[in-house]
Amino acid sequence: MVMNATRTRAVIFTLICGLVSAGAVGSVNASAANKDTFSKTKTVTREFDNGSSVDVVDSRDVTVRVDHTQNLRGRERVHIDWSGARPSAGRASDPYGENGLSQEYPVVVMQCRGLDDSTLSPAKQLSPKTCWTSTRQQRSQTATTRQAIWRHDLYATDADKAQKSGLDPFPDNTTCTDVASFSTHLTPFEAAGGKAYPACSGDTMPPESAVGAAFPPAELSAFTDLQGKGAVNFEVRSKTENESLGCSDKVACSIVVIPIMGLSCVDADRECRKAGRMSAGSSNFANDGVDAAVSPVYWWSASNWRNRISVPLSFGLAPDACDVLDKRPPTAFYGSELMSQAALQWSPAYCLRKDRFKFQHNRLPDDAAFVLMEKGEAAAAFVSGNRERSTDAPVGYAPTAVTGFEVSYIVDKPDNAGEVNNLKLNARLIAKLLTQSYPGSSLGAQHPGMANNPLSINLDPEFKALNPGLDSISREAAATVLSLSGSSDVIKTLGEYMVNDPEAKAFIAGDSDPWGMVINPTYKALRLPLDEWPLLDTFVPTTALECQKQNPAAYLGQIAAPVNSLRKIAEAVLDAWPNVQTKCDRASSSDPFKVGRVERQGIGSRMMLGITSMGDAERFGLHAAGLQTKSTVPIDAKFTSAAGRTFIEPTNASVQAAIESAKSLGASRAFAISQADLRKSPKAYPGSMIVYTAARLSGMSRADASKVASFIRISTTEGQKPGSGNGQLPDGYVPILKSGTTAPLFAAAQRVANEIEAQGGLPGSRGPSNTGAAVAPGVDAAAADNGTGKTSPTTPVNDPDQMALTAAHNSAPAGVMLPLIVIIALIAGLLSPATRIIARGRRR
Amino acid sequence: MMKFKFRAVGLAAGIPLLSLALMLGLARPAEAAYAQIEGSGSTWSEVILQQWISDVDANGMKVTYNGGGSSQGRKNFSQNVTDFGITEIPYQGKDEFGAVDSAGSREFAYMPIIAGGTAFTYQIKVAGKLIRNLRLSGDTIARIFTNKITNWNDPAIAKDNNGRKLPSLQIFPVLRSDGSGTTAQFTTWLDKVYPSIWRPFFGRSGLTSYFPQKGKAIGAAGSDQVMNTISGAAGNGTIGYVEYSYPVNKKYPVVKVLNKAGYFVEPTQYNVAVALTKARINQDTHSDKYLTSILDGVYNATDPRAYPLSSYSYMLLPTGKKDRRMTTAKRQTLTDFMFYSLCEGQGKAGAYGYSPLPLNLVQAGFNQLKKLSVADPNVDFRNRDVSKCNNPTFVKGDLSRNHLAEIAPKPAACDAFKAGPCTNATGTAPTTTAQATSGSTSAGGAAGAAAAGSVDPETGQVIGSSTGETGATGQGSVAIPTELLAARADDTKVFGLLAVGELLAIVLAPGLCAVYFQRRSNRRRSSWS
Repeated sequence: MVMNATRTRAVIFTLICGLVSAGAVGSVNASAANKDTFSKTKTVTREFDNGSSVDVVDSRDVTVRVDHTQNLRGRERVHIDWSGARPSAGRASDPYGENGLSQEYPVVVMQCRGLDDSTLSPAKQLSPKTCWTSTRQQRSQTATTRQAIWRHDLYATDADKAQKSGLDPFPDNTTCTDVASFSTHLTPFEAAGGKAYPACSGDTMPPESAVGAAFPPAELSAFTDLQGKGAVNFEVRSKTENESLGCSDKVACSIVVIPIMGLSCVDADRECRKAGRMSAGSSNFANDGVDAAVSPVYWWSASNWRNRISVPLSFGLAPDACDVLDKRPPTAFYGSELMSQAALQWSPAYCLRKDRFKFQHNRLPDDAAFVLMEKGEAAAAFVSGNRERSTDAPVGYAPTAVTGFEVSYIVDKPDNAGEVNNLKLNARLIAKLLTQSYPGSSLGAQHPGMANNPLSINLDPEFKALNPGLDSISREAAATVLSLSGSSDVIKTLGEYMVNDPEAKAFIAGDSDPWGMVINPTYKALRLPLDEWPLLDTFVPTTALECQKQNPAAYLGQIAAPVNSLRKIAEAVLDAWPNVQTKCDRASSSDPFKVGRVERQGIGSRMMLGITSMGDAERFGLHAAGLQTKSTVPIDAKFTSAAGRTFIEPTNASVQAAIESAKSLGASRAFAISQADLRKSPKAYPGSMIVYTAARLSGMSRADASKVASFIRISTTEGQKPGSGNGQLPDGYVPILKSGTTAPLFAAAQRVANEIEAQGGLPGSRGPSNTGAAVAPGVDAAAADNGTGKTSPTTPVNDPDQMALTAAHNSAPAGVMLPLIVIIALIAGLLSPATRIIARGRRR
Repeated sequence: MMKFKFRAVGLAAGIPLLSLALMLGLARPAEAAYAQIEGSGSTWSEVILQQWISDVDANGMKVTYNGGGSSQGRKNFSQNVTDFGITEIPYQGKDEFGAVDSAGSREFAYMPIIAGGTAFTYQIKVAGKLIRNLRLSGDTIARIFTNKITNWNDPAIAKDNNGRKLPSLQIFPVLRSDGSGTTAQFTTWLDKVYPSIWRPFFGRSGLTSYFPQKGKAIGAAGSDQVMNTISGAAGNGTIGYVEYSYPVNKKYPVVKVLNKAGYFVEPTQYNVAVALTKARINQDTHSDKYLTSILDGVYNATDPRAYPLSSYSYMLLPTGKKDRRMTTAKRQTLTDFMFYSLCEGQGKAGAYGYSPLPLNLVQAGFNQLKKLSVADPNVDFRNRDVSKCNNPTFVKGDLSRNHLAEIAPKPAACDAFKAGPCTNATGTAPTTTAQATSGSTSAGGAAGAAAAGSVDPETGQVIGSSTGETGATGQGSVAIPTELLAARADDTKVFGLLAVGELLAIVLAPGLCAVYFQRRSNRRRSSWS
């Protein structure tokens, strides 16, 4: 997250609060924000008992800070940073779960049930037994006596120094296979329900820990840099995601941060006293062995555990949900996936009230939803722009949500310096990605006309100029942006953004960029905007690889591999799992070769982009790229920095600025946001979109009409109060308010609601329809009049006649013969005077 | 990430809202404790499953689903990686590579969740225009996918289209490269109906989840990628098999398949429902394949409306008392998720390109679902009443009838074997009976409207079928268009150059010639003198 945005954030925050509901709500913010953060400093030590005295061999004052800790929801990410810790060594490429064990002096971050409060009953206190790990290897160890260094721990109880420890009585061989001569320590897991898992094998771990579980591990052994600092985004899990851990509004939990200092030793045991074999700041991507005494594997040992800093958390009250036994048939609104997160929070506000109806949002491409609504199969459709009508029934568009799309990304800085949280993209870079102009690998580089193009975006000098300091390793996943396969207004808006940018427009038209990169010839002169992004490339590379030979396919199409929902894209980015379909292998040498999706990217070298909805991106905490709007840089010049270019990230302010430019196209039409206008604004985010509730103005049943009207009224009033509660507006949406920049939208929504309820056709065609329901105060009178005063209804838009296209046909003989004949005729024509002259000569 | 959060406000504003709701007498559900459940498997049924998952989110249920193919779904379930699996075919004992394909020691039950048609979607461009109303017989389909028919101009294809011949174009079958239930459904049909074509190609009998990739066939992982491969620019000449919802979502055409009654039909919710009335469901409650279906009757259904490749998708339910992954909360989530899906969720099947389950299967599914509450008495199964489901196949008061199959419209006359072909575009998921019958949709303009208007609401038949047919054939958007030559791309270049050349010649040649001959005659004259 960008720091300079914080101030603006606070300002807008207060502003919005004031606007939404003066007084009561507005007073909450500042104090809550302060209480929400966490900061604590603790002295952590490593000590050796030298017989006569206990010597402190290493001591550090570690400060841990957490950005927010209160009212959390499942899968929410909190930002944790620390300073003063011992620099780590042997950095793993993936620090999560058991993959992070082969490191030295890391900082272990995990989620545990209970609090560090000695006044509480033991069951409510923190203990290694309530700390979640994804694998058995992270909690229970077996070793030869020489290697069993935990038995030399200065702070261990006598029981823990025994050959078999951790669980009393120690489980027999039917539960846990154990070698009698070895030393074993178990750290059983105590589930919230009371069940204890011995944790001596994969089978004796809680069910949420299965290999290949839906969620990757959240706990990690994080790296501290040479300055003693480090930071992670830690994903918390609620009872819903992890029932065994069981954190909820009723069950308190903590994040436990353990800076690994090395075991404190009770004697001179050499293994216990080891200080690490790797130098600070080094990497261990090969996963070589490390000194166990300074590794995170014994985080549970008393001497490590006492060094912990625990961060108490509170989880939000789970909102009331709809009852699955509710017998009322749902009223289905079909359409735009941009509405998903809002619809999710809004549904309970309807189903939980007997005086309302059961609202349901069914995702469908905008076009298909609109047709369904026109046919009367759906009460209303969610769309993001005007639609060509296919019937005569007039349709009203009520602005319902202000949101949009983002280009989300997950990119790691080189040398495991963490995630990139500020990425800049211009329209030309997006055009390069979508037009499959990056070849991806040497296979794609065979593509005719693209030999000089960089293999992937991170090798592109343009991208490097805007985003310096990233690695230069070519990747197939970085040659594309995961996008939608079906039709969507998101793709259309993205297309408008590109064609209104001179650089992108010139690139698509066929001009090379200043460094000589050209568009994939199959996309050259593509006419944008389009509702659906086409897969045009047909190039099949030649290769010596047997698998690719057996599975010839359009290679760049396999890299692009779009999917059919925005939600899938958000999840792919969240998990850093590109949808690139170039994995080509076989299960065994007797099996046929098959192609499929590549593996998840390893942490430390992640780089993938995806087109997501703002709602999903907010819910999952994805980073959003800043998109370029204004530029003062000549389009043909090479550049080395972002200077002269304005990049806008999606924020409330930047989306509002975009809405400010929206123009009303008159009654029963959607507003128009022009990308050409947005380019002129230094503040407006180009991915901003308005989602409308579109419904017929005549021909609906009374009941449905009044449901849709009341939906519009409710969603544009109480549905616009920001928050995570039922009926409220989730993050990723900008409230539509009675006053301010969104006032015209609000007024239009109220007007259209009335028109839908009246079912009198287009306003003006059958007298005034604004009877009954009062127009909300503050509505622009002129806007309201616009609806009723109009005498001639808008001409219904008829489908243009669909004619069979005439054939584009080529005939090689015709191409040669006809010109030949004409040439012969010309020669003959020229020769005719000559014959006369020749004849004349003969006569002579 | 957008740059700010509203959490504090949310809480504050939530309290008055909540109390308001309480005052108005809301139906607060009994404290249903849900926990997240995870599943994986079929992409055939994934489109509707994902919609159900987002629907129940509003009920407080969190469900994650990863469509990695049915084979993967069965494997994950048996290895205790997931809480449920989705598959089109039952466990096979052993898979085609000799690996174990069973649930191992995990106790489970099959439960049908949705019906649908395995559709054949294709890209054939004639003169730059996408053909949208291709018809094929099963025999032709079998021979296409076994590489016996390799060109779209094959006489067998022309015969299926009442003599209309497609231009010469190589056929590229698109196959699923991952272990797929869609492939298994398709190959079961091939094996049962066209053994003499399928078995020599496959090398043995029976179904497979991994279609043998030979000849010009292209492999793609998952239904999404099959759809991408076919609809991409490189897809001209391709044909592949996916659940009907994929082409419907993409507005892509599907093949009308010839049924035993001699009609070419599309896998609409009606035609699938009609065909599946002939499915033989394993009714032996003691069988480990209880409720799985034998589809021979479906393949050979003689109703003119029946779509032969109709089938069901199944959930693998963990019914064991001591199931390692299950807890009360998870069982309750699975129970209510499926209660919703089998009941209310079936109502939207048609819009998404599926067909709702008939009542007898919903009822049987409920009985399977009940096993979760038998395994764990703390699971609440009360009031989950089948008969009150908002399911379009149900007839109020008579649960033995299938309403959808009863109202299913008869195919248009132009869909008969030696007639037509109809001009209406396929793959648009007609949701009304009128539209399903009409010979032509909006693409046909006035004819479409006329045909739709003349449908008998009772029988679903076109009144005066001859008008339907003439309307169908008389309009502009025909099946295999007559090629009108407007211009030839090659010619523009050649004639352009030629025009320039001629213009120059016309201007310059007479003068030059005149000069030339003048000089020549002058020279001659001078030489004579």
